[in-house]
Amino acid sequence: MPFREKTAWISLLSMAGIYGLYFSSVIRAKSHGGAVAFGGLLGTIIALVVVQTVLTIAVAIFDPKDAKAPQDEREKLIELKAARFAYSGLATAVVFAIFFAALPSPIIFGANSLLLILVVCELMRSSSQIIQYRRSA
Amino acid sequence: MATIRNEIRRLRFEHGEMTQQELAEKIKLTRQTVNAIELGKYFPSLEAAFRIAAVFGKPLESVFHYSEDEGAR
Repeated sequence: MPFREKTAWISLLSMAGIYGLYFSSVIRAKSHGGAVAFGGLLGTIIALVVVQTVLTIAVAIFDPKDAKAPQDEREKLIELKAARFAYSGLATAVVFAIFFAALPSPIIFGANSLLLILVVCELMRSSSQIIQYRRSA
Repeated sequence: MATIRNEIRRLRFEHGEMTQQELAEKIKLTRQTVNAIELGKYFPSLEAAFRIAAVFGKPLESVFHYSEDEGAR
């Protein structure tokens, strides 16, 4: 498995796991009429950075030659296609947000809703990368 | 539908059983990309195709073959 596919897996699994925990705590807090403190989000971001950094370093130590190799044309193409796929998701979400905000009784997207959109788009990007790597393996 | 076949696998064996990794290092691609090209799952850029042909000392058309499917016409 190429180094960049491994980092895509790290990104996908760490984001799904850590943001999954964060959003489940948001839902739990909402159901009890409360809200998650800003520290919760900060802790989530720090945990994500630490987990991704540690795992990426571990993978690079395991196969340093592969990790040092520059991206080749196929890997660049995979990254570009994945970014385009994620952008289409982001653009769709923005259109929906504008539509709901324009309703007579507008639904305003809060910070957590916007964060969820960004996380989903990032998951789309990582998933798309993995699928493309698997298809051409 | 058009297809592009290639002779890379055969040419590697004719050149001292060159490994995919050795070819990849010569043309500055990853081994996985060389494998994908060999299997016809990825079509290289023109520049990469010329580099591959140059490694084997062959003209481009001896390494890559373009054909159009009769049913698509």
